[in-house]
Amino acid sequence: MRALNPACKFVGLLVATFVLAAVRSPWWNFAAFLLSMAAILAARVRPGKLLLLLIPVALAALGMFFTGYRFSADGSMPVRSDVFLVGSSQLWNGLLQASRVLAYAGLGYAFALTTDRIRMVRSFQRQFHVPQVFAYGLLAAWGVFPHMVQEFRRTRAAFRARGIRVFPVSPALLAPLLVKSVRWSEELAVAMESKGFAGSEPRTDFSPIRVRWFDWVFLAVCCLALPAAAVLFT
Amino acid sequence: MQLKKSWELKDVIMMAILGVVFAAVYMAVFQGGLAISTALTPLGLSSFGFEIIYGVWFMAATLAAYIIRKPGVALVTEVLASAIELLMGNSGGLTVVLTGIIQGAGAEVVFALFRYKKWTLGSLTLGAMLSAVFIFCYELYYLNYIALAPGLLAGQLAVRLVSAFVFSGLICKLAGDGLAKTGVVKSYAIGAKADIGKVYDEEE
Repeated sequence: MRALNPACKFVGLLVATFVLAAVRSPWWNFAAFLLSMAAILAARVRPGKLLLLLIPVALAALGMFFTGYRFSADGSMPVRSDVFLVGSSQLWNGLLQASRVLAYAGLGYAFALTTDRIRMVRSFQRQFHVPQVFAYGLLAAWGVFPHMVQEFRRTRAAFRARGIRVFPVSPALLAPLLVKSVRWSEELAVAMESKGFAGSEPRTDFSPIRVRWFDWVFLAVCCLALPAAAVLFT
Repeated sequence: MQLKKSWELKDVIMMAILGVVFAAVYMAVFQGGLAISTALTPLGLSSFGFEIIYGVWFMAATLAAYIIRKPGVALVTEVLASAIELLMGNSGGLTVVLTGIIQGAGAEVVFALFRYKKWTLGSLTLGAMLSAVFIFCYELYYLNYIALAPGLLAGQLAVRLVSAFVFSGLICKLAGDGLAKTGVVKSYAIGAKADIGKVYDEEE
């Protein structure tokens, strides 16, 4: 997964997500979830980290199961005999809603956990022709993020030193962060302009990100084989 | 491409930074929403946990548009915020970028109808509410909400609209006006006419 071109990976997994949305089958969703977990583990993501990320997903899936179970609109039930073997239509509806959450999250993590952020922005710039000014602007803003975290901690520590307890998302903490962010954005823009970056001139890349044969294979599987299978087998 | 020319580099950086700030806020709020919906799970009302705070997801578009006041700002900021949210590893999956486009488009349509000239609590709220309606239509299909009872859906939409008003209307207006008062946005449209008090700069 790591070697795939980020833009191709994005398109492929996005198409796969939409195929799942159209198929409306819990089995397809569970299969997609397991496949993406396998892909993530094969890309050497630490299992502990993955497990931690999956806790909120599991909770959301459980929540959607009960919503689907209790509030089902019977109009959209699949009316085929093999479907009814699964159990009542309520159970089916609950399973469908829950497996959907799992599958979407699985595919999302399969992208986010195996993609380098800078490579992704560069790849989007090259393959999707995202204007340079956005690509570099995004990278620059991304670089500011650690400062934001630090500023947030500092403000919280300042309140604590004065013996004031503040809620983690309270305006007292977020307001200084917002003011600082605006200042940083101006300083960044001035810094970029003073280094000669205007966003319109052509630039060369140190290591251009290309689309290779296995990217095409991945795209073909996700965008052609998967929809074809969905049409044939459902 | 008249539209792009009117954007300056500092506008784009501002949008990107607001995108990063709100991506972080979205991630934090997502955990909060999850806590509420887990508490509501036994009632089968878990989806309401997110409806209550749904308005937060329209804040990036409304606030950026309120500050910069140029065409396309709402849409692009929302898309940038969602792209960063994806990179931070959100659990909603890849389509978060699509939802960003849809939400941003909702707000953008309203601001365009006002010809980017009217920036009141009313216009901000309308922008956020159209975002809410747009994204709801999409979720009917994508999250298979269409398989849920119509009464529940109406309730969800109503809660979401109120949330859009509170977070993206009221709070964004207050945040924007607060920023204008501090003087840091004086080079943007919002700060041009603001009544700035004494400005304390940390470098002095």
